[in-house]
Amino acid sequence: MALIQIRNLVKRFGTHTVLDGVNLNLQKGEMKVVMGPSGCGKSTLLRCINRLVEPTSGTILVRDQDIMGPGVDVRALRQSIGFVFQQFALYRHLTVLGNVMLGLRKLRGMSRAEAEAQALFQLNHLEMADHRDKYPSQISGGQKQRVAIARALAMDPAVVVFDEPTSALDPVMVREVAELFNRLNREGVTLLCVTHDLALASQIANRVIFLDQGVIRADDTLENLAKHHPNDQVRAFFGQNKGQS
Amino acid sequence: MNFFEIVAQLAQGLVSTVVVTLVCSGTGMAVGLTVAGLRRMGYAHLVPFLDGFTYIFRGVPVLVLLFLVYFGLPSVGIKVGPLLAMALSLGLIAGAYLAEVFRGALDSVEASEILAAEAMGMGRLQILTSIEFPQMLRLAVPGMINEFTSILKYSPFAYTVGIAEITKQAMTLTATTLRGIEIYLAVGVLYFLIYRILLAGVHFLEKRYQVPGLGTS
Repeated sequence: MALIQIRNLVKRFGTHTVLDGVNLNLQKGEMKVVMGPSGCGKSTLLRCINRLVEPTSGTILVRDQDIMGPGVDVRALRQSIGFVFQQFALYRHLTVLGNVMLGLRKLRGMSRAEAEAQALFQLNHLEMADHRDKYPSQISGGQKQRVAIARALAMDPAVVVFDEPTSALDPVMVREVAELFNRLNREGVTLLCVTHDLALASQIANRVIFLDQGVIRADDTLENLAKHHPNDQVRAFFGQNKGQS
Repeated sequence: MNFFEIVAQLAQGLVSTVVVTLVCSGTGMAVGLTVAGLRRMGYAHLVPFLDGFTYIFRGVPVLVLLFLVYFGLPSVGIKVGPLLAMALSLGLIAGAYLAEVFRGALDSVEASEILAAEAMGMGRLQILTSIEFPQMLRLAVPGMINEFTSILKYSPFAYTVGIAEITKQAMTLTATTLRGIEIYLAVGVLYFLIYRILLAGVHFLEKRYQVPGLGTS
């Protein structure tokens, strides 16, 4: 049984339909990439999974539990899904260590010592322990991303979702991010990544899902999507994107 | 009686001035944080009351409210002590101003950080106390200094309800010595010293909790 099952997911903002019947499965231990042009509904899709955005209709099962069902503990659901935002969204008033410790202290109820040990373990894992006392304004974009990942992993989530992980980074960072994602995935972390960065997608996944105007138009290898897909729009997106990367 | 003896005599009222200033500042902080926090929590039905509170209390003169509380309430059977009367007048007015200062500073907290905290599973109150208030207080320092200074400068009204603070001491001393110029010059010096100490205290706290990339420094 898939870790996350999305069926006929629809999200409308007023009269504007952002997601129009999306179906998607994410298996435990899998790394799935969803691609698409800006405004295609990628971020909304992610935000529906932890109900930061309320779906209009459809079903989302996380570990077989309907997250829109009655009596769902939304805060517990969110704790089971690590979220790494486009701009990383580190808390500016907290150090690197403080950022990772906050959820452990406030949500897991750990003592300061326990939370610090757990946070340092994750920061070590992501090679950020040396920067533990720095503030977000004192570290680079790539380092911020690692802290955001450590913050997500520290909560021991079932899945970590990434919203445009390379858009706020220097293009030369893409390989580094890809290596990190691959490493995490080899270690058993389930990842769901939305991006329009073909260079990143090509390094972390064989198959990608193409989302356009709220509809999944394709689920195939990058090569097939760029060369053999019957839809001109899909071929154009992947062909043009490839040329840019 | 030389200038220093005058200052020494006036200093007897110093403790009362400092106590009035601290009590009214504390009341103002508590009220300001509560009003700004409740507004931020998104309780829509409370917003008209919060707006009404800041609208009214920012527009009422301190002395009028003080007299209303101290001399007016006993007529309906509520007797209020002098210090409490100061807290309920100057303190509440300061609270209304500080609520506005805090509201502006809260708007400077990054929405993405609040969203990240929600995505992590934190509740609204946890986000307010762990993310928004700690950042807001750092951003609000200039406005807070202004308000604390105003409280200090309005503290002489305490003498009208019988608190023997510096100005009251000065009036008594002037009546007996008729040396108004030296006495009120000394009063000015004392207030200035209190102001500088208050400022140094706030700057110490500001430096102690300073975060690179956040705040006014």
